[in-house]
Amino acid sequence: MPSTGLTFSADGKTATLQMANVPIIDQPRWPAVDAETTPAFLDFKLVFTATDEPVNYENAMQQYRFEGFKAKAQLEATTRVPLIDFTFKTDPLETSKCDFAVMGDEVNGRYYEPSRG
Amino acid sequence: MARDRLGSFELNRRRWLELGITSALAAWLPGARLNAQSAPQSCAPSIPQNHEPSNGGPCPYPIPWLDKNGNHNQAAMPNVELSSIYHFKGKLARCSGFHGMGTDNKGNRLAWGTPTTDYSYMAGEYWAARQPHQAVFAHT
Repeated sequence: MPSTGLTFSADGKTATLQMANVPIIDQPRWPAVDAETTPAFLDFKLVFTATDEPVNYENAMQQYRFEGFKAKAQLEATTRVPLIDFTFKTDPLETSKCDFAVMGDEVNGRYYEPSRG
Repeated sequence: MARDRLGSFELNRRRWLELGITSALAAWLPGARLNAQSAPQSCAPSIPQNHEPSNGGPCPYPIPWLDKNGNHNQAAMPNVELSSIYHFKGKLARCSGFHGMGTDNKGNRLAWGTPTTDYSYMAGEYWAARQPHQAVFAHT
């Protein structure tokens, strides 16, 4: 995605991911193998806000470490399916809820070194 | 990534396209290409000419034990690999379990979201074709 689509607040605690006219597909019968598709478009704005609760997920066997914070995430979006004249607009960002969100930094694979202690 | 499967929602057709939307957005810096549904084909390894070395293509590696096809990952939750890319370092955020309400163009009020409605961003460096690459990715 264009780097301009992802912005951070000065303190790094808020991240905003925003894109418009993202080409997607409408595939109501997915995952049926013969599920038909219709071209569609998505505009969305997603805002992550970090809390003060740290998280650290690490697995040396699988060679990954995520260090960050639990977060609040909220989303507003509009979808359009021109061929069937369908649009859907979510309520404003503030009204959405998310059950799980984290934001932080990840290293894995060749970049991973196990934490000491 | 499109783990939005037929679930228990009562809304039977649209669900904000949720059951059918699959979009993995990847764009490259520089270049700013926007791609949906799958990784760009342009990063496939080329056939070397004149005996040049072949080091693979610049496509990011999927997490090996999660998805050999590189399209899906696992639901975001504590103590799991949150990245969709192997050999990655950088900023990452994941969220799942969105739910809310919205309105279609006929005025119908519809609920959207399932436990697997998730979004993410990844911004940083990944390793492919024996060299580092900088990129920003989003998953919707």
